[in-house]
Amino acid sequence: MATVLDKKKTVRINGCVASAQAAKYADVDVITAYPIRPYTATMMALAQMVANGELDAEYIVADSEHSQLSIAHGASSSGARVFTGSSGVGVQYAYELYSPISGSRMPVQMMIADRTLDPPGDFGSEHTEALSTRDMGWIMGWSCDSQEAFDNHLMAYRIGEDPRVLLPQMVCQDGFFVSHITSDCELPDPGQVKEFLPPYKHPYPLDPRHPVSHGPQIMPEQGPPLQLERARAMEGAAPVIEQVHEEFAKIFGRRYDAWIEEFMTDGAEVVFFMQGGHAVTARYAIRHMRERGAKVGLVRLRTIRPYPTDRVMQVLSKFKVVGVIETNMGLGSVSSGGSLYAEACAALYQANQRPIVVSFMAGMGGEAIVLKEFYWMTQKMLEAQKRGGIEKRTHWVGFEE
Amino acid sequence: MPATISVERQMLPMLGSPNQGARFYNPDVPETEPFVPGHRTCAGCGPSIQYRLTSKASGDNTILIGPTGCMYVANSSYLCTPYNVPWAHTQIGSAGSFTAGVAAAYEAMIRKGKWKGPFPNIICEAGDGSASDIGIGSISGALYRNHDCLIICYDNEQYANTGIQASSRTPYGGMTTFSPPGPKVPEAKTLFPKDLARMMAAGHPHCYVATASVGYPIDLMNKVREGLNHRGAAFLMIYTPCQKGFVYETPRSIDLGRLVVECGLYPIWKWDPARREYDYSFRPDIMRPVAEYLKLQGRFGHLHAEHIATLQQFANQQLQMMNIELPEALVRAADPSTHRDMAAAEAATAIAHTV
Repeated sequence: MATVLDKKKTVRINGCVASAQAAKYADVDVITAYPIRPYTATMMALAQMVANGELDAEYIVADSEHSQLSIAHGASSSGARVFTGSSGVGVQYAYELYSPISGSRMPVQMMIADRTLDPPGDFGSEHTEALSTRDMGWIMGWSCDSQEAFDNHLMAYRIGEDPRVLLPQMVCQDGFFVSHITSDCELPDPGQVKEFLPPYKHPYPLDPRHPVSHGPQIMPEQGPPLQLERARAMEGAAPVIEQVHEEFAKIFGRRYDAWIEEFMTDGAEVVFFMQGGHAVTARYAIRHMRERGAKVGLVRLRTIRPYPTDRVMQVLSKFKVVGVIETNMGLGSVSSGGSLYAEACAALYQANQRPIVVSFMAGMGGEAIVLKEFYWMTQKMLEAQKRGGIEKRTHWVGFEE
Repeated sequence: MPATISVERQMLPMLGSPNQGARFYNPDVPETEPFVPGHRTCAGCGPSIQYRLTSKASGDNTILIGPTGCMYVANSSYLCTPYNVPWAHTQIGSAGSFTAGVAAAYEAMIRKGKWKGPFPNIICEAGDGSASDIGIGSISGALYRNHDCLIICYDNEQYANTGIQASSRTPYGGMTTFSPPGPKVPEAKTLFPKDLARMMAAGHPHCYVATASVGYPIDLMNKVREGLNHRGAAFLMIYTPCQKGFVYETPRSIDLGRLVVECGLYPIWKWDPARREYDYSFRPDIMRPVAEYLKLQGRFGHLHAEHIATLQQFANQQLQMMNIELPEALVRAADPSTHRDMAAAEAATAIAHTV
């Protein structure tokens, strides 16, 4: 471990700038940008770093998000460390590339600052765009403040580039609630990063001295083994993710549970299950309600792909009621609400003791989830506990008494 | 930041005897075969002939990028690909962008000391569907940003591996499964092809842009080398006949590659980015009416006299754009009364149901 950490400093930055700082500390080789709010601020910060000579990287302004992701794919295939990102409809414009990138096992990193899809075309944060890509073979998780965003980016490179994994990563944060709200962020000494994150070395890059073919056409019977291999890479990432979080804690002194944050769950009977920045408000609300005697807590999912099924089962089955805060659209889905409900319920199906699970559509369209809404949702969970069953699967928060 | 390392570029020599297509042994042609035989393309496949010539001209320090198309589907069979140099598939709409990523990676990696050696030849082999339709934006982006790479449109004037569908490069009168002839649309394809190469030259005048044909292999290989030697982005559009889609006798691929130039339907030129002007000095040995080119191909078998005349007018315009004086015979051939309907309209319909 580096003994002198004289370049370590604490700055007050927003999530977008924290992501840009992480890319700089990771000494990325190729950056590819296309403007869309709110993630744009990350690329603006990186453009300035390159212009100032603080970071030596090819900075490419692409002609679309589709091009952005295929530039990233080409550069990663050649052996370069790559950083890209997007928001909202931009994430979906690039959709075609997500499977080819994970299928060719290229550890491209993508920053996502969520934005609601069109319609309604607003600037607010909703997780739908990123979650719609959740089964494409990318490691995926949400940060809830700028420090966690910075840390998650560094850890994601380390995880994705591990030769046992070789998978791309989506490092997500809520648009505006994280991307544009400043908080204290400790920037490490470059020596710490050097110790934590070795240079990217793909085993089979496009190198004229060692010719390889990437992504050839296959016959149908050759498909299953390749798909199985990709599925196993995703499963095999789980122990690497845990190991990387452990090493991160040792080198940087900040310890995260790789999968789940539990907040005031001791003695809790009802809990929120959610991802991302609204958890910050949830913590305030929970403290306040605990003072008034409500046995409520928070379970925040930090990594949704690979999905920690057993862990979710083990944690959530301790409680009487689970309230899933969606912040995403799953039109016509299992709960007719969001897609997180199904993820929670499926994990709980094998549990000996299953809690009541109810889905809350809150933060939709990027609206803030305010304290009184957390109180209202807690009330609904306590009523369900008392009743011993749900009133209905999905509550649209703000549209009911 | 550590001091950056300067990037060494390759400079390939021009081949001697830049003839106008005579089939003779040329000792300058490199022996290297980065694209080896044994792949699954059709007999007489124009794009494959082009692929072999291009990769020979480029040599072994090369990386090939293959957007979806014939040269991906028919060539890159899993576990037995024909590429002796690195090759990567990319999406049909990602031709320019994936290529740009590879070029950018090598710029950064060489500069930062992460890869040592001369900058590789980075070549994208996009079909005309990719280059003129779905991937045109990505190619324009790569040319505009001037990455050091060569983007080739191997132009077989249709989407071929999907079963012969019209692209924006399919000529007027060309029959495809998306542009079949019928009583209401006797000429089949009603639209004229997108002038892709001129678009690329006009819109990206700092790039080396040229057209070529498999009928003139030395000219083709020299243009590949000029494009690679050009510091920055280059674009080549190469006529590559498709036996399956054009419906002709297999051994005549090279003949068609010459006839299409001789009749004016495929102008051969290059855009000089330094002087910012077209170079029209390439001249075929002889000039012919379009009917001599059309009659060899089943895809034109349904054409009526007025359609042939329309194509002759189009060819004449193309020749005039290159400041070529039209012989009297070609002017006359633009008159429908000088033509007869292609006799085999019924035969053509039968072919349309088999492709």
